[in-house]
Amino acid sequence: MKFEKIKEILFEAAKEAELTEFDIYYCLTDDQSAEALNGQMNSCSSGVSGGVCFRCAVDGRVGSAATQCMEKEKLEALVARAMANAAVTDADEEPIFFAGATAADYQKINVKIPELPGVATLRQTAMTLQEKLYAENDMMTDGTASGAGATRRTVALANSKGLSLSSETGAVYTYVEPIINDGNEPSYGMGMAATLDTDSGIVKKATDEALSRLGAGLVKTGTYDVIFDARQVRSLLAAHRSIFSGKAALQGLSLLAGKVGEQVAAECLTLVDDPFYAENTVQCPFDAEGVPTREKILIEKGVLKTLLYDLTTAKKAGVESTGNAVRGYADPVAIAPYCLRIEKGNETCDELITRMGNGLYITELKGLHAGANAVTGDFSIESAGFLVEDGKITKPVHSFTVAGNFFDLLKAIDGVADNVQMGLPGTSIIAAPDVLVRNLSVAGE
Amino acid sequence: MITKALIEELLGIAVSTGADFAEIFAEQERSYQLRLVSGKIESVKDMMLSGVGIRAFLGTKTYYASTSDTSREGLLKCAANLAGAVGEAKKGIAVPALIKSVVPADEILRNPSDVPAATKADLLREACDAARNVSDKISQVQGTYLDVNRCFMVANTEGLFADDRKVRTRLAVNAVASDAGENQSGSYSPGAGMGIEFFEKVRPADIGERAAKQALTNLGAVYCPAGTMTVAIENGFGGVIFHEACGHSLEATSVGIGASQMAGKLGQQIANPKVTAIDDGTIPGAWGSFGIDDEGNPAQRNVLIENGILKGYMVDRLGSRRMGMPMTGNSRRENYTFEPTSRMTNTFIDNGPDKNEDIIDSIEYGLYAKQMGGGSVNPLTGEFNFSVQEGYIVRNGKICEAVRGASLIGTGSQILQDIDMVGQNLATGQGMCGSSSGSVPTDVGQPLIRVKKITVGGRS
Repeated sequence: MKFEKIKEILFEAAKEAELTEFDIYYCLTDDQSAEALNGQMNSCSSGVSGGVCFRCAVDGRVGSAATQCMEKEKLEALVARAMANAAVTDADEEPIFFAGATAADYQKINVKIPELPGVATLRQTAMTLQEKLYAENDMMTDGTASGAGATRRTVALANSKGLSLSSETGAVYTYVEPIINDGNEPSYGMGMAATLDTDSGIVKKATDEALSRLGAGLVKTGTYDVIFDARQVRSLLAAHRSIFSGKAALQGLSLLAGKVGEQVAAECLTLVDDPFYAENTVQCPFDAEGVPTREKILIEKGVLKTLLYDLTTAKKAGVESTGNAVRGYADPVAIAPYCLRIEKGNETCDELITRMGNGLYITELKGLHAGANAVTGDFSIESAGFLVEDGKITKPVHSFTVAGNFFDLLKAIDGVADNVQMGLPGTSIIAAPDVLVRNLSVAGE
Repeated sequence: MITKALIEELLGIAVSTGADFAEIFAEQERSYQLRLVSGKIESVKDMMLSGVGIRAFLGTKTYYASTSDTSREGLLKCAANLAGAVGEAKKGIAVPALIKSVVPADEILRNPSDVPAATKADLLREACDAARNVSDKISQVQGTYLDVNRCFMVANTEGLFADDRKVRTRLAVNAVASDAGENQSGSYSPGAGMGIEFFEKVRPADIGERAAKQALTNLGAVYCPAGTMTVAIENGFGGVIFHEACGHSLEATSVGIGASQMAGKLGQQIANPKVTAIDDGTIPGAWGSFGIDDEGNPAQRNVLIENGILKGYMVDRLGSRRMGMPMTGNSRRENYTFEPTSRMTNTFIDNGPDKNEDIIDSIEYGLYAKQMGGGSVNPLTGEFNFSVQEGYIVRNGKICEAVRGASLIGTGSQILQDIDMVGQNLATGQGMCGSSSGSVPTDVGQPLIRVKKITVGGRS
């Protein structure tokens, strides 16, 4: 069923229920992917998944209900379900449904949305990568995977105030997971790129990574200076991104509460949320409440400039929405950055390593969902990487943990490299360079 | 849901281009979640998930297509997409007539769909109020009530045709204790494959109190020291150690493609003789139980390790083809958008020969991990990690000061040998396990165990 038809049914049902404030949020995703494994084709997959959420205000309370069943009677039942759910919630602030901004406030996206290539093309891409992997090194062994995928997503939002917006995003990706076995132990690498081009360099890079990890040793327990590579910096930021939520701050769940204007990080750190960053391929001109998305500085030279807000939280905090409401079709409105980016520094990665002198270059952090706690800031994370001695990478190391507190870590940053790299599109998109942090606790042998 | 005639038609299309097997999976799942923050029910997430996934095999190649459009046209298009992807010129196998088999459904005493929302809200309030009342230092309490009613049908070209319903219920409390600009947290989130009757077994107030007391303990705790030490891991969610360190490496998902440290080790002594480990999807009312798995096979009790010897893997249909071993009723998926694969159900280390008090007594200096958090593993190397939510230093056989911020890391093959004492208070804890077929409910479990030597990630 098309969105316009769904909207018509739901608006009619809302009118019949004498609702005056409501919105509908609709998502449709179309995914395609293919994977090759152990030198052969392994799997192909495609999926279409759509859902709609009806949200309304009843006596100052908000309720919502969502469904993937698009039959007329199921959609009509959605209105009654949302009203019943409103009665369960506790009244808080007056619910806000956004009337919309002027057309000029909604920025134009500056990327081309890729078409879905079809599974046959993706299968060929996955297989080409697989052949390249096995050609890259003689020690390539079972478990070696490669894949390609594409996704397209339509989001539409309409409400009782006359707002009606829709947007399409799309992304393509390739990945390789080489497994090398030198007869002693297996070693692995990982490469991803936001392209279907099989010559993007990920095969060599990931294979080199697997090779470089062979024969990894242990490190002595102690205090170390650490450089996190760009990928790990992105993981750390993703695990802690809720600290920038204005709602988390109001609820006592972010230690950045009340710190706007204060030095919360080292001077060399500037962090922005930039939905229209040129390398962000999934740009959307409006947030989940219809507010225009825009660029904002979160941390400028170490000073916290703002937190992120949706309409309700902004009203409570006495500020404007920053256009950071997010939701899936079934979820209540939440707050998240659209595209976080650490601004690049002046040094190259090699210069950073030279300046550190002795320490660890960390290229893998594992289990952050469990090992990092954004509410307390404490983290203790299984890591792997390289030992740095006298300004040079000397040998691979693994099976150690790096521990600290994220809020202390922000202040202990002592260098930001110039190699800003973009992560693959996910729920939140992050771009970051390598970062040097002083004095972290390491547990090894 | 879809008619038998349409199912047969879809299977016919799925094998029309050369596939040697096809399967239809149709699912409807109603989930209802209440979230309480700052003493108020902040939101309700009320969702009806609905869709169909069609799968085909050609040898060990798999093809999958799914859709939320369950109209006849939507399903025919989905099957045609799948057939197009298989794309062989030859015709596939014939589809046999389907005969529905009857799966005995769990006995649910108080089905959540028959219970008013206000009753559920009261359970959540009871838990969160209890947490708040533990101490003035409890600065925030977040609570979540969840119930899920999942119905699905599986049919395949081998004539299998069955459906099942699964109800599960969970209540989670996360408490934050604050003092002098510092936050510490505690949480507890029990659940079961039961209806609202679960809360007669586990009182909501006890859930809240336990979370709040843990947050307070952590607020008064010092940072855990870093290094290698002897660790006693308590029962219940402590079983996450086996889940991560070994369980994932015994799934056909990694064993079947040769990317597991446990591949080719059947019959070998891989663990200390005190270790017997079981995966059992048949336990009535357990969080990770089900009648039939997501490929339609009945749940089973599978002995994975017996007295330290590797006895079996967890095998789904594709794994069975790859490994030449029978299926074990372990095929699972989060929902119809995922292709199923071998997953754990309720996995635990069984009771052993050691008295619990002897385990603590035996430790001269080490860590007592009373409550574990989650973790992860690389099945290829067996390297795992998991976090300690509540821990204490042990000195001369006595449990002493609380420590925070710790994690444990190691490799599966090593830790299985290093579990040198196994106690007798087997209990389970509930988790959501993430893997290639999405997030599924699993129980982990064990009695108190001792690991003679493991790396503790703390502060140096």
